[in-house]
Amino acid sequence: MASKVSVVLRPVKSIVVRFCPFEPNVESTRKFLQSIYHKKIQATNTNCEVTADVRHDGSEPVVDVKFADGDRLIMKGAHLTTGEMLTALASRCNAKDLKEEQKSKRKNP
Amino acid sequence: MAALGGGGTRWRRAWLPALQLLRRGSKAVTRHWKAMHLQRQKLLALTEFLPPRPPVPPRCRPRHATEEPRQEDGYARVLRRQAEECLRGSRMVAVCQFNSLPDEDVATLRHFLRKHNIHLKFILNEIIRPVLAQSELRSLLPLFVCRNVLLVSPEARAREMLRVLKGVPQVVLLGACIDGTILSRQGVENFARLPSLEVSQGQTVAALSLLSSQTSSLLQRGPAHLTALLDEHIRRLRDTGGATEPPPGRSSGNH
Repeated sequence: MASKVSVVLRPVKSIVVRFCPFEPNVESTRKFLQSIYHKKIQATNTNCEVTADVRHDGSEPVVDVKFADGDRLIMKGAHLTTGEMLTALASRCNAKDLKEEQKSKRKNP
Repeated sequence: MAALGGGGTRWRRAWLPALQLLRRGSKAVTRHWKAMHLQRQKLLALTEFLPPRPPVPPRCRPRHATEEPRQEDGYARVLRRQAEECLRGSRMVAVCQFNSLPDEDVATLRHFLRKHNIHLKFILNEIIRPVLAQSELRSLLPLFVCRNVLLVSPEARAREMLRVLKGVPQVVLLGACIDGTILSRQGVENFARLPSLEVSQGQTVAALSLLSSQTSSLLQRGPAHLTALLDEHIRRLRDTGGATEPPPGRSSGNH
């Protein structure tokens, strides 16, 4: 279930969720936005800026995640479920965390 | 065997042949496997415990094409009536997505909105959807998907609402219906930038009266120009006539 996926937002710099609420394919993106605003996930990184960009141009829902090391993750939520988007974000965040830990271990053996 | 053998008197023991067999046969409880008596086998086979099969869960049963109409819950009916009254009596209805917010922040938000006569109403999607489907606000139906909150007000205070919501990023404005007009988020922002009704009425009246005042000045321009030209001409004639003035005798002699 989407609510059981725990995401650690430490390596994330900003998340922009862009959607048009009058379109029928925005449910999963809106649920993703709702999950991201959960207090447990927000508590992992208070410096992460989460922005909701509401438009009315019939565009597809997009989640744009910018990481602290410059990487960018763009998820088109029209044909993705909330769980898939959260899992993708969580896996990338965990991978970056592991890399950071390994780097710090190499620097301070 | 002692109990069986010594049950009756001695002449009774010899009388029943089944009891004699017990002397040489093994006991009931033995250390080796003993074949069950046929009658016992038959009895056990007859009286074997057959556990009851669990019933098929209703979700695995084939669903009928037409579901039976569910009886409406009384509480749902009350909530629906409240929603209808709320939509009917308000000039501005704004739909926002409500992401999780601490209770004290919700109370603060409610307080600041109440200052501008805007009421914060939490609404369930299954209650509001049938209400909207039957009203003229059915264009707002796609907005009611996740957890939403309604901001209703008898006045159209869009500017104040946007100012309050700017400080709360967890509440995302999706759309609104102001004075029977469905507006998107950009529409609400444009509406907030408009001047008030009195100011816009004054501007319209001034623009219309400007045209009519310009008409009168336009019509008067021709004759005014002609008058000015004639005055100039007369003045020049006077000047030249004064410069070459004939002697006063000649002019009196002519008369």
